[in-house]
Amino acid sequence: MSDLEEHRTPVSLNGLSEDDLRLQPLAKNPQTVERVIAVTFLFGTLFVAAFGASFWVNAKPWILGATMGAGLFLLGVGLVAWGKYLMPRGPFVEERHTLANSDADREAFAAAIVERGGSVVKRRKMLAGILGGGMGIFGIVALFPLLRSLGPLPKGTLFHTDWRKGSYAVDQTGRRVNVGDLAIGSIVTVFPEGTENSDRGQAVDQTVLIRISNQNFTTQKGRETWGPMGYVAYSKLCTHLGCPVGLYEQQLQLLVCPCHQSMFNVTNGAIPQFGPAPRPLPQLPLYIDSNGNIRAQADYDQPVGPGFFERHRVTGSKL
Amino acid sequence: MNSSLFRRVPLIVASGAFVAAPLLLFAGSANASNNILQTTRKNAGTPNSTIVVKNKSGTVIKYGNKYITYKAPSSKLDTLGQALFMENCASCHGSEADGVPANGTNGAYPDLVGLGPATITFWIDSGRMPAKNVAAIQARRGQPALTSTQAVAIAAWVNSLLPGYPDIPTPHLKNANVADGAALFALNCASCHTIEGDGDALAASTFSPSLRNIPAFQVVEAIRTGPGNMPRFTGNLSDQQVADITKYVTTEIQHPNNPGGFGLGGLGPVAEGFVGLLVGLGLLMLVCYWIGDRS
Amino acid sequence: MSDASATNKRAQREAAGPYGKIGQTLNELDDRLGIAKGGRTFMDKIFPDHWSFMLGEIALYSFVILLVTGVFLTLYFVPSVATVIYHGPYKPMDGQRVTEAWDSTMNISFTVRGGLLMRQMHHWACDIFVGAIVVHMARVFFTGAFRKPRELNWTIGLTLLILAIGNGFLGYSLPDDLVSGTGIRIAYSIMESIPFVGSYLAFWVFGGNFPGTATIPRFFILHVLILPLVILGLVGGHLFLLVRQKHTQFPGKGRTEKNVVGSPMFPVFIAKTTGFLFIVGGITALLGAFAQINPIWQFGPYDAARISYAVQPDWYMGFLDGALRIWPSWSFMGFGHTIPLEVFIPAVILPGIIFNVAYLWPLLERKFTKDNEIHHLLDRPSDRPKRTAFGVAVLVFLAMLHIASSTDVIANFFHLSLESTLWGMRILVIVTPIIAYPLAYKICKEMQSYRGGGKRKTPNIVSRTAEGEYVATPTPAYGEDVGHELDATPVPTYIEVEPDEPVESGVRTVDR
Repeated sequence: MSDLEEHRTPVSLNGLSEDDLRLQPLAKNPQTVERVIAVTFLFGTLFVAAFGASFWVNAKPWILGATMGAGLFLLGVGLVAWGKYLMPRGPFVEERHTLANSDADREAFAAAIVERGGSVVKRRKMLAGILGGGMGIFGIVALFPLLRSLGPLPKGTLFHTDWRKGSYAVDQTGRRVNVGDLAIGSIVTVFPEGTENSDRGQAVDQTVLIRISNQNFTTQKGRETWGPMGYVAYSKLCTHLGCPVGLYEQQLQLLVCPCHQSMFNVTNGAIPQFGPAPRPLPQLPLYIDSNGNIRAQADYDQPVGPGFFERHRVTGSKL
Repeated sequence: MNSSLFRRVPLIVASGAFVAAPLLLFAGSANASNNILQTTRKNAGTPNSTIVVKNKSGTVIKYGNKYITYKAPSSKLDTLGQALFMENCASCHGSEADGVPANGTNGAYPDLVGLGPATITFWIDSGRMPAKNVAAIQARRGQPALTSTQAVAIAAWVNSLLPGYPDIPTPHLKNANVADGAALFALNCASCHTIEGDGDALAASTFSPSLRNIPAFQVVEAIRTGPGNMPRFTGNLSDQQVADITKYVTTEIQHPNNPGGFGLGGLGPVAEGFVGLLVGLGLLMLVCYWIGDRS
Repeated sequence: MSDASATNKRAQREAAGPYGKIGQTLNELDDRLGIAKGGRTFMDKIFPDHWSFMLGEIALYSFVILLVTGVFLTLYFVPSVATVIYHGPYKPMDGQRVTEAWDSTMNISFTVRGGLLMRQMHHWACDIFVGAIVVHMARVFFTGAFRKPRELNWTIGLTLLILAIGNGFLGYSLPDDLVSGTGIRIAYSIMESIPFVGSYLAFWVFGGNFPGTATIPRFFILHVLILPLVILGLVGGHLFLLVRQKHTQFPGKGRTEKNVVGSPMFPVFIAKTTGFLFIVGGITALLGAFAQINPIWQFGPYDAARISYAVQPDWYMGFLDGALRIWPSWSFMGFGHTIPLEVFIPAVILPGIIFNVAYLWPLLERKFTKDNEIHHLLDRPSDRPKRTAFGVAVLVFLAMLHIASSTDVIANFFHLSLESTLWGMRILVIVTPIIAYPLAYKICKEMQSYRGGGKRKTPNIVSRTAEGEYVATPTPAYGEDVGHELDATPVPTYIEVEPDEPVESGVRTVDR
């Protein structure tokens, strides 16, 4: 084995002679490396200083980032190179002591806990029981009001929207939608009048109004009067995860959810024909009043949006 | 929504009605049902433009307002248009421009009669027509094969068969409000074209095209005519709102403000994930590889 | 300088002892804290030099950057959903009705000096942080570093990953922009999908029906205080266990179960690791300077009726989004109730299974291999083909789910139909892990038969006997290598022997 190989054997840090190869730097030419590192540090310092200056004069973000990044990077590279090439090359070894203690120690530890604890508790079982019960009840009591006060109970809010019999459909500027407004193939997002600026209106009541034809349009049996003059309205909340289904392909007559690409056919009651959505979009029954305004016959006949555990309870056999 | 929009509600109502009227004519004729819907709105059917220019015989050749003006193609171009149509379009759409009835199947050649000049010029100016690949489900934007004058000529001839709306628009963007446009874009356009205007794949091999390289008048044409699967925006967007959107598209979408560095192609978190993992983490792992031993 | 003052100085120096002021200070400290012995041991602590041991450091230092930049951002961010009208320097959003959260994030991006850089560095550091944890965990998994006695540290590390993902999502939601708002909407619906308690849970977390009023303030305090504290505590525990149990190491020359080979804490490791901290900071800053991330001014404020197409979550949530996309639309309705399985299974059950298997993996492996020994020497991945193949299959599965979260982008980019892309991903998610497992297994087996690939080789000495017969004699292996398990068998290399020279002096190894 060569001298070099001999020195590759790791040794303990202590008790090495000063000329041991393991204490020598890795670099073949330390002076050159030192000079290179010095230059790196110098430029790093300059960049860091430039960062300070550019912050002072409020330079563009990329100048701030470039100076800071280059400065830190160069300082870091220099420091690493110092450690890697100019410090003792090693390798060194450290003994690993077993973590486990002797059997006697373990036994003494276990005995201390089991015997002392056992003797105390055994004689005062009742006390321990009451204390445990008290703490358990406190835990439950502390948890319950905390959870309860975080927010209201859902109650009926998930089952209804703000659409009522006679609600005007208005767009997001509050303008009532008139029967003359939409050409065939047009779409507009509408809200029941008065909710177009509320968070709830936008989150729950949002509805897409689509014009499919010029004649009354029946999407499904039993919905003969719901689509006057070719206007049909569906909840804009996807039944998958509640994203707004705002993507309408007018030739394919598909509403597509931009989040997970569920596709709903607007001509047959928005039955999903592709993607992960499990239910059709609820349809809003419409009528056109004597002024030509689009209005709702009633609220949706089922909860809008994604599914939840109690959803089926109220809507029963309707869907 | 922008509060300033509320102050303009009367204006919006008025201009909305104005736009609705001609487009309903257009919508009705496009669907072979000539019943023009009578609405009870007061000004229905009468152009409520602040700008109306008529020729000597009294026909309206230009109308609109300070946001968008619409100009009918000159009837002098009819003959040229007919010749160009026969050469470039008639093989599919027929010499009467009535096409093969669109029965929902791909490859049906639409009836162009009564679609209005803006529809014709949009398809030709964007290089989609004459179709390079007739079998394609959706034509892609490209270099136009015909000049814009030739497009107007074809539009003039087709329009002469049965006049329709809308005419060829010219937006006046200096009067438009880019901030209102941003809000309207987010509500009406981003769901298909993405909020950064890149476009994306849609159902059944269709796609929403990128908006990064569309001239302003074509943005208006697309909004007003609803090419392909795009919904038409008629009475629900006033000329002012259309101009607002157009201004937003031609400024912020096409020349996005990227103070934070390179825009990463507008793909959002997908591109960010790639850069973060491949460039950021990848570089750092290379540094690890340099610092540490390799054996 | 007079002679007197020079003498005085020398006297002072002598009084201070051989180590001067520093020595004095340490003495004073030791008087009070008794740190000398432990301090010396700590300075001598050995860190293995292999590069893959630094992956965890990327995570640690990204976390440091997250803390520093995050503190900067909290000075300006307003965690409120109160409505204001935006009138900032970014004109295209002027006059929009926005929340204070969005407004203040815009303020950080456009008005606060250095604010945009800090925001971008924070976001990039987060992407790198989670990525580094994953890569680090993969290293730990494939080399078997989680085995006894380090099961607890594996558990802590996995918890850190989950907390990092969770906190990343919360932070991503805070600006209340269009893209992140959609993410919150989806999170709400996922909570709502949990049977029995879903709608209550969602109402309590959000303070009411979506969008609720409590989201941003609650997410904020979780994001900047509670979760960082938990993460900080667990990182402390992680490092404490690492010091207490000492590092693992790859088998090799002089490395046994009873020692650690590498560089000492001071000065070598300190220099390298501090330098590396700077490098992580530098690269993050360069990314923050040149690669724009989460441009909320282009997205605009959130509004429940608005939506952008092609919105994906940050990369570490991608596998969940992908699972939601490809899971079929099976919903359970019956017994008077709805169970939205189309959401519950991919978004709750699936990650639950993945993380629980990961948590239990050390126990599972112990149960199957009946290996209850303490291990400090690492496996090479090829030494444990079944574990490696399983890990590869899981990673491939997650990667496929992640790709499935951008089916629309893929379909658009390659001009495919959305439907066929989705179906393709449904198939690939199942098929690729099934292919990956035997493939990885086979590769491991092949590598086993090529033992020593990538290792130091010991040469064979080929000599010709007087009869003209060639004899190959392996040179002795390194002394310390003999006897410990998993030792690599050296691969013979070609040796040229000059024909007429004696064997001892004429050996020339040819580099492979």
